[in-house]
Amino acid sequence: MWPTFAIAIASLVALLVDLFAPAGPARRGIAVAIGILGLLAGGILTAQQYGHAFIAFSGAYSVGGFSVVFSEIAILGAILTLALGLGIGRDDQVAGTTALLLWSTVGAILMAGANNLMMVFLGLELLSLGLYCLCGISARSSAREAAMKYLILSSMASGFLLYGMALIFGADGSVQFSDLTVAPVNAMLLLGAGLFLVGIAFKLSLVPFHVWTPDVYEGAPLAVTAYMSVVTKAGALAVLARFAYAALPVQSANEILIPIWVLAALSMLVGNLAALAQTDLKRLLAYSGVAQVGYIVAAFAGQSALGLRYAIFYLAAYTFMNLGAFAVVAILSSGDGIIGIGQLAGLAQRRPWLAFALTFFLIGLAGLPPTAGFTGKVLILASSIGAGYAWLAGVLIVGTAISAYVYFKIIRIMFVRVDEAHVKPLAIVHNPLPWISVALCALAVFALGILPITPSDVLPLVK
Amino acid sequence: MIVTALVLGPILIGLALYALPKSAEALARGAGIVVAMLAALAVIFFPHAGDASVHWLARPFDAAFHFGYGPFSYWIVLLLALVTLSALTALRVPRARDFTAQMLLLLGAMDGVFLAKDLFLFALFWDLMLLPVFLIMLGWGVPSHGPAGGRGTAAWRYLIYNLAGGLCLLLATAAFGVVHGSTDVIGDPHAGVAIGEVWGGWIFAGFAFAFMVKTPVFPFHTWMPDTYTELPPPAVAVVAAVQSKAGLYGFVVIGLPFLGAQMHDAQLLMFVLGIAGLLYGAFAALAQTDVKRIVAYSSLSHLGLMVLGIFSFDPTALKGVLVYIIAHGLFNGALFLSLGYLEAREETRSLTRLGGLGAANPRLAGALVIAALAGLGLPGLAGFAGELLIITGLYHGGFVVASIFALIPIVIAAAYMLRLYQTAMNGPQRLDLPQRKDLTWIEGLALVPLVAGLVLLGVNPAALLTSNGTETVSVVSSLR
Repeated sequence: MWPTFAIAIASLVALLVDLFAPAGPARRGIAVAIGILGLLAGGILTAQQYGHAFIAFSGAYSVGGFSVVFSEIAILGAILTLALGLGIGRDDQVAGTTALLLWSTVGAILMAGANNLMMVFLGLELLSLGLYCLCGISARSSAREAAMKYLILSSMASGFLLYGMALIFGADGSVQFSDLTVAPVNAMLLLGAGLFLVGIAFKLSLVPFHVWTPDVYEGAPLAVTAYMSVVTKAGALAVLARFAYAALPVQSANEILIPIWVLAALSMLVGNLAALAQTDLKRLLAYSGVAQVGYIVAAFAGQSALGLRYAIFYLAAYTFMNLGAFAVVAILSSGDGIIGIGQLAGLAQRRPWLAFALTFFLIGLAGLPPTAGFTGKVLILASSIGAGYAWLAGVLIVGTAISAYVYFKIIRIMFVRVDEAHVKPLAIVHNPLPWISVALCALAVFALGILPITPSDVLPLVK
Repeated sequence: MIVTALVLGPILIGLALYALPKSAEALARGAGIVVAMLAALAVIFFPHAGDASVHWLARPFDAAFHFGYGPFSYWIVLLLALVTLSALTALRVPRARDFTAQMLLLLGAMDGVFLAKDLFLFALFWDLMLLPVFLIMLGWGVPSHGPAGGRGTAAWRYLIYNLAGGLCLLLATAAFGVVHGSTDVIGDPHAGVAIGEVWGGWIFAGFAFAFMVKTPVFPFHTWMPDTYTELPPPAVAVVAAVQSKAGLYGFVVIGLPFLGAQMHDAQLLMFVLGIAGLLYGAFAALAQTDVKRIVAYSSLSHLGLMVLGIFSFDPTALKGVLVYIIAHGLFNGALFLSLGYLEAREETRSLTRLGGLGAANPRLAGALVIAALAGLGLPGLAGFAGELLIITGLYHGGFVVASIFALIPIVIAAAYMLRLYQTAMNGPQRLDLPQRKDLTWIEGLALVPLVAGLVLLGVNPAALLTSNGTETVSVVSSLR
């Protein structure tokens, strides 16, 4: 549990910054530094657990390959979020928001290691509670609206989840995932599993449970949007993976999960189709995120061990691509601003390097080489075909073809030559931290594309 | 080593050019020319360079970074280097640093397509080569309809069509990998690939769609005329001359050895589409007034002929396809570059406005006439050898009707090529056309590799077939 302690302590220390540091930009720097250092410490401690499997809290929390990988992705997402936005909110808010962000990350880590239903719920609520506040941190009314919407809809999803857990417990008499594999399959268990999956699908924003996503993403501050697009999804994916692979009655797991594969297929299609019509960059990335999660869930189909590894690989790739794109947007929009894709017109003339970076991340999201998105997609295709879900692979290709319109629409706007006189100059952020994030993400996207390293030590998932 | 350098060298140098200041146009252009020249020399002087292979993936299928020459690809890579060299030398383009960089990226990516011996790697470069063309069209596109009307539209169409093809290729590649267990198979006669009936049809469909879009085969050609018209001349020379061969190359090195049964099943369909393309392209070329569109449609016609050659499964026809691939690349490159000179001088591409330029521009007229004559299949130039071999092979293989159809566009080709030359160069001089200088010596020199290739290959086409053509032909022979 040391990683979670490290991050939790860092979050408490960050709260103290408001008391002791002088007001002004210095406070921002100190709070962000404490946050990043705490997360780095947590990341290093987590990495040391790779390969060691043990159980804590009388079976509630398991440490080992699987949870290590998801925790690292969550921690990475949190670090990049802090770096790309240089903290969230005004100077006098940064200490508080950093603390909330770290607590949410702790929640995601708990979800990654959750070994029974109670821990899933605990982690999920810890993750969500911080995010409700972070969404509404800005004074814009759209931010308040987003926070309210997120609070209400997300709480409802938690209700579904909790009700499903109660029914599962009623059917099985245990909250342990490992006991579920031998539970009797009856109506109560099926209903419980169904409600549980609805709750998870909501958190993952799989179609048709995605409608909250674009509004919340649009209203929330940019960095919070970036965080939600990666860390929330990583946490929920960890739970889904564990549930799909190791916590369903063995003989009927496939039938119970078929609706999830259908939702994944729908997400790939609907997410990309809806993204076509968007002109606001954050909304567009929200819908594209819906589709991207569809790709990842598709890799679980057939519950093959390779599929799990490739899902993790693609999640890591998606983390870097998405946060890289958000980092470029953050540099261009100086923090909180809402940026329409029209504002990117002629970016290649004015800021060729930023235009190239954004293009690189977008072609990665579109699944073109030489990026991790390309390699990841081929791996997922291969594992789906190998597991007997060729139809999902077909849908994935159709979805990708649609998504090409979405991403290349932006690339086209950046690269078509425009009259210099007609373009408003953009305010560029000059702090090195976001630039470093862009460079790191680009490097990671390229390196993972050439050398697709997938974690070998992720099974077994439950004890 | 050499083969890897052919792929990575241009890409790395292309990216490095962006580090130069924008004003260093001459330096960037020079670097581009030197890289293309080195590529050409490396291909010429090291024809026996060995394969370079590094293990890549073990799961879900074996894959390797495996580059190497094959019997077809050696000549196509040489063609690519020569056309790129000519294209970069021939014409000045605004913002030369960025343009040269994109052209080098294109060169490297296309080298990757033709040198890849692993299907997955092939698919990677297949998708990669779209991007430079797309960016060149956005940044340097020549609007074809009105001053700014078509800008971006043709690029868009090019991208969407070819990306759809590329994604099908990717899916087929993944399925191939899962079914066979390895993708490191291109050019390996001992790969022992046996794709069953169940998967064979689907996998072939994916590959075939990608290849047909890229070639393009009628009815997937609608992206082509606009793309060729809007691309700036140096880029269109490379795309029309070499990128269009990627689909044919795919049919030969992937379709024939690994999916032979499915190729046989598709024979009738492909014959119909090939004949439709070669007739439609020829007649459409006859009706155009934009000089670039004439050549674009003529290309469609010639590519249809090559499709017939491949799907006849006749060894002679296949030899003809190899010769014609190279010949077509050479004369198409020369044609588009000559037309680029023409357009740069006269600021119009319309045959209704051009006329009588030959008197004042004898060297330009000379370049254009050689390219046009090779295009219409004049004996002694490379085009003739390829056409003759393909049609003989068709006849030999028992496809008499197809061989008769294949003769028709050759007649029409004479009509549209000579019309193009005659209208632009002969006849009374148009006084409203600006009077410009004839080709400078460097502009003329730029065409030398292409013209020399046309003559050499026309006189001695066997040079292509004796040493390197045998392997592929033997693969085909075993199918019959």
